[in-house]
Amino acid sequence: MSGNTLRVLIRGVPMLLATLGALLLVTFTLSSLSPIDPALQLIGDHASASTYIQVRHELGLDASWSRQLGRYLVAVAHGDLGVSRSTGQPVRDDLERVFPATIELATLALALGGVGGIALALLSVRYPNALVDGFVRVISLAGNSIPVFWLGLIALLVFYARLHWVGGTGRLSDAFEYTIEMKSGFVLLDAWRSSVPGALADAVAHLILPVLILASYALGNVTRLTRSALKGEAGKEYVTLARAKGAGRTRVLLWHMAPNVSGFALTVLALTYANLLEGAVLIETVFARPGIGRYLTTALFDADMPAILGATLLIGACFVVINGLTDLAVKLADPRIE
Amino acid sequence: MNPPNVFVTAQSLDDIVSLDPAEGFELSSQQTFTAVYQRLIQPDRDQPARLDPSLAARWTAGDHVLTFDLRENAVFSSGNPVRPEDVIYSLSRAVKLNRAPAFILNQLGWTAANVDASLVKDDPHRVEIHWTAELGTALVLNILTSPVASIVDERVVAAHALDSDAGNRWLKIHSAGSGPFKIRRYIPREALVLDANPSSPAGAPRINTLILKNVPDAGTRRLLVEVGDVDMARDLGPDQIAALGASRSVKLLEFPSATIHYLLFNTANRDNPALANPALWEAARWLIDYRGIAEKLLRGQFLVHQAFLAEGFPGALDDTPYHLDVARAKQILVRAGLANVHIRLSVFNQPPFGDIAQSLQATFAQAGISLDILPAEASEVYSQVRSRSEEAVWLYWIPDYFDANSTAGAFAFDPADGTKTLAWRAGWHIPGLSALTRAAALESDPQTRISIYRNIQTEVQRSSPYVIALQARTGIVVRSGVQGYFQGVDADMAYYDRVSK
Repeated sequence: MSGNTLRVLIRGVPMLLATLGALLLVTFTLSSLSPIDPALQLIGDHASASTYIQVRHELGLDASWSRQLGRYLVAVAHGDLGVSRSTGQPVRDDLERVFPATIELATLALALGGVGGIALALLSVRYPNALVDGFVRVISLAGNSIPVFWLGLIALLVFYARLHWVGGTGRLSDAFEYTIEMKSGFVLLDAWRSSVPGALADAVAHLILPVLILASYALGNVTRLTRSALKGEAGKEYVTLARAKGAGRTRVLLWHMAPNVSGFALTVLALTYANLLEGAVLIETVFARPGIGRYLTTALFDADMPAILGATLLIGACFVVINGLTDLAVKLADPRIE
Repeated sequence: MNPPNVFVTAQSLDDIVSLDPAEGFELSSQQTFTAVYQRLIQPDRDQPARLDPSLAARWTAGDHVLTFDLRENAVFSSGNPVRPEDVIYSLSRAVKLNRAPAFILNQLGWTAANVDASLVKDDPHRVEIHWTAELGTALVLNILTSPVASIVDERVVAAHALDSDAGNRWLKIHSAGSGPFKIRRYIPREALVLDANPSSPAGAPRINTLILKNVPDAGTRRLLVEVGDVDMARDLGPDQIAALGASRSVKLLEFPSATIHYLLFNTANRDNPALANPALWEAARWLIDYRGIAEKLLRGQFLVHQAFLAEGFPGALDDTPYHLDVARAKQILVRAGLANVHIRLSVFNQPPFGDIAQSLQATFAQAGISLDILPAEASEVYSQVRSRSEEAVWLYWIPDYFDANSTAGAFAFDPADGTKTLAWRAGWHIPGLSALTRAAALESDPQTRISIYRNIQTEVQRSSPYVIALQARTGIVVRSGVQGYFQGVDADMAYYDRVSK
């Protein structure tokens, strides 16, 4: 690692802390403005007034807003994200359980969608107005406009219920689900490590559909934006010059145009990845998979403040880290960017 | 397909707050308590008005005291014997923890300060339960059938106590009971895995493993049961059930549910004086399209029911004197001089409440009453009702235990001691009806109790700020080979022990 890279990384740390602090403050404020009463959410409508008062006190809701915030910040500084009110478990344990599932899903989807999207964008620019270009336009439009929950249900109906080609919901079949120890939380890794015959294949069978559907979203996004960027380069003088010097279309595309949009493509990939990490909630719901998106959404409905703050903090940290790393990668890939 | 000794259900488990019987008060938790714990006595599953001995072999009643002889040789899933100490610990712990369902036991006059003195061990197999409240033996027995009165294994729970939590943190996700199942593993929001407890005094279940899977999406639940990856799917919408109608591999089981849906006018809201006018209440009774909602709008999920005791409860009125009659409602309003009535109607922002509210809005408008629908999250609606700030609200009611008093004590009871019952929330001051409800609670003769409750229901049905309209039905889809599942009318009455496939 060069000294320059190290300096950039170190400079990012205060930025990370400041961003997370601001994020906490905003989330805490918005949550406390919510009309949802977390105590009533927990105990329901029939409980007695004395239970209500006791639960409000236990949740710290009878303290002033600033005191609640202060208590929370002190606890977070000690690495304690509190106990989720709706699952009854430490938020840290909950996040350690659900987050690897999301990382696994999002990373596989990005790998497929990102590579496929860039390849399709290159093909579409190399063969403009050909069949492949039309195909790419349809794919990118579909990836951006078809709701993933609908696509998920239809895919389950066809490939799982009718054709029996893939596994159904959850991360594993019931035969494996409660026998394999989920040490790392990554189902592929845990199934492989377990050495239980058939477990890995079962995990793959359950991952195929959600990964493909999320990948189609990623693919649509990456293809559309990369294709536009490449098209923008196509009319520039350096392209004309390269062609005039006798370079072939493919050579111009890969050796001249592609490096010029690589920084942009990296940014698109990073943003898509960040969106996949927190935006997989619909897929997680339809496929009944654990994940940070569904965890956060359910926590929001339950006004489960510690879970909301913990999950937001984690997602926020991911955004900041991914953005920081992308900036670094873009600088390394494109020396024109300061 | 799952092995024949493993039964898998697809349902939403997102509601579970706790699997500690002293704390859990949600539908999925309550249903689990019936599988995992036993109480001293429990309603008979076929005739719930009859009480069956459960962990108690027999009981005798005295003046404000019940003496229970525990079943000989009864053991918890841990192998520990069931002792009077366990009964005393369980009931006392529930009162002292003071979580959501504690108010059920508080009705006996029990507080954290006096509960220990109310529970007395007579000998190694006998325990006395005393109460101070003015309640008859019949009602006290029914209160003791509620899930909060489940008996936990004191030795196991106390061994897991941290600080002063009485084992609450541990029991949220573990079990220490004597029911036909025990919790193997609970992964919040993912699955609840139960193993058979062959030594249960209730008898060993027919299956070895019961897996309740959290499948939040109803469309996915339908596919899973259709393919056969789960044996049962709960909470399917009418469209999903209709779509499965042609399939031979599944069948629909239908059970009445004790959930009652009703409209409440908040007469304590002085900003809108029309709300306290009995003519408005009467007109509203003729302005609901009961049949249209039950049979067309929400087909198959509801029955028309116009009394506060759900069908299936002893003494429930089953007559339905009201139907949509706009002309009649108009006459009532004109006679009372009620014109240009505007009412804000609070409803939960989830199905089916929006559909019901829109139907009300349309029919009330025909009689010149304008309803502004205010959809809100459930706890926000509860908050409005508790502070009596709403004008009108569409709510549902689920009894807390299998006794008419659970519901009558809410709808028709506004005691002078300031207890904030549903009647208080509606601002409905009813000394006469409250006295009648108290008399019914004290009465020990079942027939006399039933007769009093019938009178109270008739009065509430005729003139009250509630318009009781619908009773829910539970539709459950199972694979065609599934036998033995039964669900009773009350929330906790889900019986998996005789299930086979």
